[in-house]
Amino acid sequence: MSSEQARMKFYCDNNRCIECYGCSVACAEAHELPVGISRRKVITLYEGIEGKEVSTSIACMHCSDAPCAQVCPVNCFYIREDGIVLHDKEKCIGCGYCLYACPFGAPQFPRDGAFGTKGAMDKCTMCAGGPEETNSEKERHLYGHNRIAEGKVPICAAVCGTNALLVGDAEEISAIYRKRVSSKGQGA
Amino acid sequence: MKKIIFSIITPLILASAAYAADSQIWGEMILSNIKAYGEVSSFSLGPLFVLLQSAYFSKIFLVVVLAVPTVFLLHYLIIGPKVFSHDGDKIYVFSLFQRIIHLIAAVAFLILIPTGLMIIFGKYLGGGSLVLGARYLHGVATLMFIVSVIPMFLFWLIEMLPTLDDIKWVFILGGYLSKEIKEIPAGKFNAGQKMWFWVASLGGVVMIATGAAMYLQDFNYNIAASFGLSQIDFLRASALIHNVLAVLITAFFFTHAYMSLFAIKGAIHSIITGYKENDEVKYLHSSFYKKLKKQGQI
Ligand code: HEM
Ligand code: SF4
Ligand code: SF4
Repeated sequence: MSSEQARMKFYCDNNRCIECYGCSVACAEAHELPVGISRRKVITLYEGIEGKEVSTSIACMHCSDAPCAQVCPVNCFYIREDGIVLHDKEKCIGCGYCLYACPFGAPQFPRDGAFGTKGAMDKCTMCAGGPEETNSEKERHLYGHNRIAEGKVPICAAVCGTNALLVGDAEEISAIYRKRVSSKGQGA
Repeated sequence: MKKIIFSIITPLILASAAYAADSQIWGEMILSNIKAYGEVSSFSLGPLFVLLQSAYFSKIFLVVVLAVPTVFLLHYLIIGPKVFSHDGDKIYVFSLFQRIIHLIAAVAFLILIPTGLMIIFGKYLGGGSLVLGARYLHGVATLMFIVSVIPMFLFWLIEMLPTLDDIKWVFILGGYLSKEIKEIPAGKFNAGQKMWFWVASLGGVVMIATGAAMYLQDFNYNIAASFGLSQIDFLRASALIHNVLAVLITAFFFTHAYMSLFAIKGAIHSIITGYKENDEVKYLHSSFYKKLKKQGQI
């Protein structure tokens, strides 16, 4: 199915998302995120309006031509060959520019810098760790569990009970979604 | 079993909801923040910020830090400095209080500008602790600037108001295009000094406000809402304004430094000792000199 180069993407099927917060909680647990940081969030639109209410799960979307990487003054982002957008927390100065650039509000800032200022940016790594040695203690501490290196699916998609949250090569994801739409005759 | 899972999950969700409640960006406001990115009705500052920050700001700063000093070097070599006798009488122009406040502002700018530039050119410095340190210092110098900007604004305000002299001064560019010493139309401060005063004080207050917004990031949403902006668009606007004004302030600061250190030989002494050379006042601030003379102060 996949063409020359796999490009990893998330997709949340909002016909299936039941707003259970499983992905968000699993993420926080797997990566031992500090209080106040939530790399993946479940949001609900048109809450309470019958027929219109939808929920979906969002985190960093690992954009092509990632805007965050374009604006970072210290160039601390790097984009893996499979399209996962990662960054180096030891280079990051916590300026916040990536947040201003991001269409999804994904970058977050723990208040752990000197004098309680915003510290190094934190965001979803698609469970692919960071620039430190793979599966090292340091990588785990700074970026969380590197499940991709262990050949595992990102934890959020792995725990999604309704299979709403999909992750994988962009083309395979859209093939799955196409199949769902045509078999049910509905969807976006 | 279900009960146990619930009793574990519920506090987690409540805890994240509690955090969400006091966060403008990652809490309930996240939808309006995100929607503002590309919605036709919003200001769409996201793409504008990405465009300017990724392709233009650092280039504009590079041009300013190279071109402005080059122009002054050429001025110094071709036209040269104005030299006034330092042996004649001196006129007391700046009180001790004014000199101390000016010193604080000067040190603040000497930190703000290089550290600001270090952030802008952070990638060439490799990022990390060096640039992070620059960012912290930038914040510390902001405190010094806050202390100095209000008294400075108040004690020089009257003398910095525009006068007819200023129009004439601008037309002859302050007489700096020739070495000839003749009477230049200016009060205690000339039009150039006045421009710097307004850029540094009013512009400085805007720099403090936009800098504070970026520093705090997640604060009372009513402030952004009163501008009709989402919190993220407010931060984007702050970053855009801070960068644009920083270009202006940097260019003016270089000019101010060149004038006091090089273009008028020894002019800097007046802000250290409080005394200006008689001839310097007589020619470069001729209206002020005449006024002092009429009042019998010299
Ligand atoms: C009156 C002058 C200025 C004041 C009061 C001021 C204040 C501030 C403050 C409080 C911040 C936020 C720092 C943080 O987030 O930790 C900031 C950020 C910044 N300033 Fe300034 N600044 C001034 C002038 C300048 C100048 C002249 C430049 C450039 C040459 C500059 C470049 C920057 C940059 C690039 C940032 C963004 C990085 C960041 O948010 O940390 N600033 N400024
Ligand atoms: S942080 Fe935002 S801009 Fe960057 S890749 Fe993720 S979603 Fe895209
Ligand atoms: S906060 Fe860090 S990652 Fe984001 S733009 Fe600034 S330096 Fe780059």
